[in-house]
Amino acid sequence: MHPLFQNRNTLLAYLFAWVPLGAMLGLVISGAGHLDWRATLAIIAPVTMLLAVVCLSPWYLCRALPLKGTPRWKILVIHWIAAQLASALVLFMVPFLLKLLARFYPGIEKQFEPSMRVLAGMCFLFYLLSVALHYVLQALETSRQAEVLSREAELRALKAQVNPHFLFNSLNSISALTTLDPAKAREMCIRLSDFLRNSLRMGERTSIPFGEELALARTYLDVEQVRFGKRLRVVQDFDTACNECEVPPLLVQPLVENAIKHGVASLTDGGEISLSAHVSDSRLSFSVENPFDPDAPSQRKSGFGLVNVRNRLRARYGNSARLDIDANAGRYRVSLTVPFIKEAVKE
Amino acid sequence: MSIRAIIADDEELARHILREYLDREPDIEIVCECDNGFATVKAIAELKPDLLFLDVQMPKLDGFEVLELADVNVAVVFVTAYDQYATKAFDAAAVDYLLKPFDLGRFQTALERVRRRLAAPPVSVPVAELRNAALPPGRHAERIVIRDGARVHILPVGQIDYVEAQGDYLAFHSAGKAVLKQQTISSLEESLDPKQFVRVHRSFVVNLERIGKIEAYTKDARIAILSDGAKIPVSRAGYLRLKDVMAES
Repeated sequence: MHPLFQNRNTLLAYLFAWVPLGAMLGLVISGAGHLDWRATLAIIAPVTMLLAVVCLSPWYLCRALPLKGTPRWKILVIHWIAAQLASALVLFMVPFLLKLLARFYPGIEKQFEPSMRVLAGMCFLFYLLSVALHYVLQALETSRQAEVLSREAELRALKAQVNPHFLFNSLNSISALTTLDPAKAREMCIRLSDFLRNSLRMGERTSIPFGEELALARTYLDVEQVRFGKRLRVVQDFDTACNECEVPPLLVQPLVENAIKHGVASLTDGGEISLSAHVSDSRLSFSVENPFDPDAPSQRKSGFGLVNVRNRLRARYGNSARLDIDANAGRYRVSLTVPFIKEAVKE
Repeated sequence: MSIRAIIADDEELARHILREYLDREPDIEIVCECDNGFATVKAIAELKPDLLFLDVQMPKLDGFEVLELADVNVAVVFVTAYDQYATKAFDAAAVDYLLKPFDLGRFQTALERVRRRLAAPPVSVPVAELRNAALPPGRHAERIVIRDGARVHILPVGQIDYVEAQGDYLAFHSAGKAVLKQQTISSLEESLDPKQFVRVHRSFVVNLERIGKIEAYTKDARIAILSDGAKIPVSRAGYLRLKDVMAES
């Protein structure tokens, strides 16, 4: 539903805004057709009301055609057609109205004729104005939502660092290594600290280069590598071009964490996690693939991480990002595609 | 006589710590190390150990499922990273539990308890019920594990058509076949999702998704006909429960 309908006050404010717009329409039209003010009002009042309703419809179109990720020509063509339709609708209704009014103002149909083109033009312009306003509304809404979600991500990142299983198991591995291989114990301490420090820092930012995302996931995997030893094998295939793409922070790490928690950890012999990242057609595609045990309980019960990633993608990119999940034949694959937006020059 | 112990943990480094600490204990002998639930159940059945160090999260079967399937009386020490819901269950089912990472002192305290327990006459604990106690609130069993001689059946709850009590056993009916497991029907009922499984009769629990229709039989009794044609009795109280659940969904 249109957001204006969710609150009575905003709806009233919207309708009220149409009073001066209607008055403007009336002025222009009475000037063009030499109508007296009562006749003008009788025509313009219902037309304005119709327009007020028609001009809410761009909300749906704007949502389907987000500015980011939709080709410009497509946006222009579709809204142009929609605006034509809107003004055609008004022009279609007006003759009926005139016929009705002819009873009180004989000859009004003839008198109004020169105003028809003006009215059509005004409807067309009002519709386009409404499209522009809806894009502004949408941008405000998106930034508000993105802020909420990034707070959430930050919180989750904090929680991930104290993800009890990850942390305690890592500490237990360190405890084992102190006698077995002290140098490796120290290395693990450093890897773990790197991971904690970096993920803490990343949660505070709104955008980070994809390269840093991959580096963080790599640090996470390094820690888990010590814990799982030969059971965890990682294959990666990255285009270096990916590194510069700007993405919301902590997108990759939750996917890699899932691949271990629900994949490799559920298999006695472990398995291979393959990560791949490519750029094509100005889109960045990233995927994580891992084997899993189909008999294991609650395979994806804790899909919270995935839901969060999906929500954040939607908040940032609207409909132009995708997150696909594909599980069959004992392999689980999560792939995401986002528009390639290059890192802005740091000031 | 030495204490024969099994270590069950899927992580090599975690096993290493136990091995290292146990090296100092001349009266304890490690007879086997297992890296998954199946192997642990098998090792317990074959080696009949006195002591089991058991990780909760393991591939194939988790620690609780291992205990459910191992009918040998063995002193259990849970070794786990973190389990906020399970600590109560640990207290009841195990001699002790160790939270990773743990130091030598804590480990030796656990061993003292083990030695005292092994000296005393064995007590049996109803393990199937403990599994329920370890589930976080609002979560329900997702699968049932059943041992049939040397074989282990894993039955996802969604595949259960209905369950019938037969003496001390429950018959789990699934796709026309039945497997028996020693458990009470009320403890089973408690562990299952009440929105999916309804106790329609003193001796029957049925999967709602399988019910085709319900027919009147006598004044108070009805019969549920499942989608595969099986007929099961529905008591008056059972019918009321069924109506309640249907009304909610």
